Amino acid sequence: MNVRPTFPASAPAPAPPARALRQSMAWIHAWLGLLAGWILFAMFLTGTASYFRPEITQWMQPELRASAVPAEQAAQAAIGHLQATTPDDQQWFIYLPDDRTGVTRVFARAKPNPEKPPARRPELKLDPATGQPLEARDTRGGEHFYRFHFQLQIPHPWGRWLAGVCAMFMLAAIVSGVITHKRIFVDFFTLRWSKGQRSWLDAHNASAVLALPFHAMITYTGLITLVAMYMPWPIKANFDKPDTFTTAAYGAPAEAKASGRPAPLLPVTPMIEAAARQWNGDRPRTIVIRNPNDAAATVTLLRATAGRLNARPDSITFSGATGQQLSRSPSPGPAIAAAGVMLALHLGHFAGPALRWVYFFMGLTGAAMVGTGLVLWVVKRRKPNAKPFFGLRLVERLNIGVIACLPTGMAAYLLANRLIPADLPGRAELEVKAMFWTWFGLAVVSLVRPARRAWIETLGLAAVAFAALPAVNALTTDRGLIASLRAGDGLFAAFDLAMLAIAALCGLAALKASAKPKPPERRAAHAGQPAAPVSKPAKARENADAL
Amino acid sequence: MNNDRSAKQAAAWPGVARMTARAVTALFGGYAAAAALASLLARLLPIAPAEASAWGMILSFLVFAGLALWAFHERRLALVAAAIWGSALVAGAAVVLMGARA
Repeated sequence: MNVRPTFPASAPAPAPPARALRQSMAWIHAWLGLLAGWILFAMFLTGTASYFRPEITQWMQPELRASAVPAEQAAQAAIGHLQATTPDDQQWFIYLPDDRTGVTRVFARAKPNPEKPPARRPELKLDPATGQPLEARDTRGGEHFYRFHFQLQIPHPWGRWLAGVCAMFMLAAIVSGVITHKRIFVDFFTLRWSKGQRSWLDAHNASAVLALPFHAMITYTGLITLVAMYMPWPIKANFDKPDTFTTAAYGAPAEAKASGRPAPLLPVTPMIEAAARQWNGDRPRTIVIRNPNDAAATVTLLRATAGRLNARPDSITFSGATGQQLSRSPSPGPAIAAAGVMLALHLGHFAGPALRWVYFFMGLTGAAMVGTGLVLWVVKRRKPNAKPFFGLRLVERLNIGVIACLPTGMAAYLLANRLIPADLPGRAELEVKAMFWTWFGLAVVSLVRPARRAWIETLGLAAVAFAALPAVNALTTDRGLIASLRAGDGLFAAFDLAMLAIAALCGLAALKASAKPKPPERRAAHAGQPAAPVSKPAKARENADAL
Repeated sequence: MNNDRSAKQAAAWPGVARMTARAVTALFGGYAAAAALASLLARLLPIAPAEASAWGMILSFLVFAGLALWAFHERRLALVAAAIWGSALVAGAAVVLMGARA
């Protein structure tokens, strides 16, 4: 029950080595989880939502309706628009639609002009079929949750570093947690089929432990996604210039200078077909055109990674003037490929709809694991009939402020999308502000309520906020749940139903928090979990010594 | 705060200082040692430099986690500090002295 660090070294009884290891690991596990837990919970929850990043973006721009168009047609339509508007640019980036995005995105970079630096142009959304710009409400869409989950809304590079430190804490907490809970391997291999209730119990235990490999995987691969920032030293050990490594690992980037001689840009369709022949029929996802309409023009096609277990896209570069293939990225060695696969495992782009839902639920178990760990910390240290010490109250309040208030903040972000007028300037930033003001504001307001009431009320508010989403959607757009079901719009219908399911989950949690009989005042936090200190006094004492 | 704690707390400062040293060694020393050891591995592996660097980067976090946990498990702080900061210095110096391959 100490918050002050007392190392197990000061524990009086000398223990055999195996037990000492488990003791020190339990001690460090609690501290790692306590220090990083709140940020990790937010990272898990927003990261889990990010498995539906394109779908959230689609929902947040209800004016747009996805239309499926072959890559060749979308590419040529986008180039047609760019040729008509900014033919003399230095570089065009074209992000082709897939079955999850439904719009083409283009970004054009003007030639550098030392006298008058060109203003940075916004990214445009184009109709995949016609190449005409699409008008939709300004929003950061699913990108906001995605960015927050590893940048934490903190200026670069500090948000990424903080996320990295928390991920390292998570990794160490997983390793120490596995050592602490020695039964984990027994649980893992215990699944007795066709034994009625017994099997259900075993399946329940096994699934709880089964999520562990996912948590370990997602933590390690998360570190790998930013490894070049976190751990660049092995590159520096072998290469004087980082670019040499990039070229050796992924092939030389196309960066020929403009020749100054004009030459018409050839159609990209034959290039896409030529690439598809080398990629087992895969189409490109991204097209980068350098120096369009110049004799030195290059067209680089990056292979779509959906459906492939390596998230590092292959690329092929063609000459834009002659159509000749200039270069192709090398096939990666085992280590580069391993890193690409780890990246893919984290991002989950390769997953089809069913596997994506598995990812989503696994991610939720991650948030649940962190959340229950934080609640457990409080429950274990609370003594009946004793005034809670300062650290205990602090942790409990932070638990409420993060676990119960963040979901409402996320719902507020989505609600703001429907309630802020579609043409209001700066509305995208207002949506983001709505999330953080709601989240932190609610956390502050909850301080005036007793802890138990605060749990019930904030969770109940989350349920109301999520349940309001389908209603507000139906009132403010013509794409409400009933209309979506009638039109066979799977995405919008599934989104509304998912919001109702989340609302039900929050409501259930609020109900659980309120169901606890007396003396509830300071015991509500653990919502349905048996009170560990009461039922297991010996263990509680051991843990009190350990921490 | 609890009543029996104040006496202990007065004597606890050396303990707090030692714990701070241990935590700093685990977090920063552990990172330095993991970076140096991963770099040494990348420099010495007799395979293509880019591949060797990638293996070093992939394995570095495992080394970091292991070292950091061990820093809290081993009771002798002097041993922890010597092993972690020492390996960071030795492996780091070796990498710097050998220089880049490409």
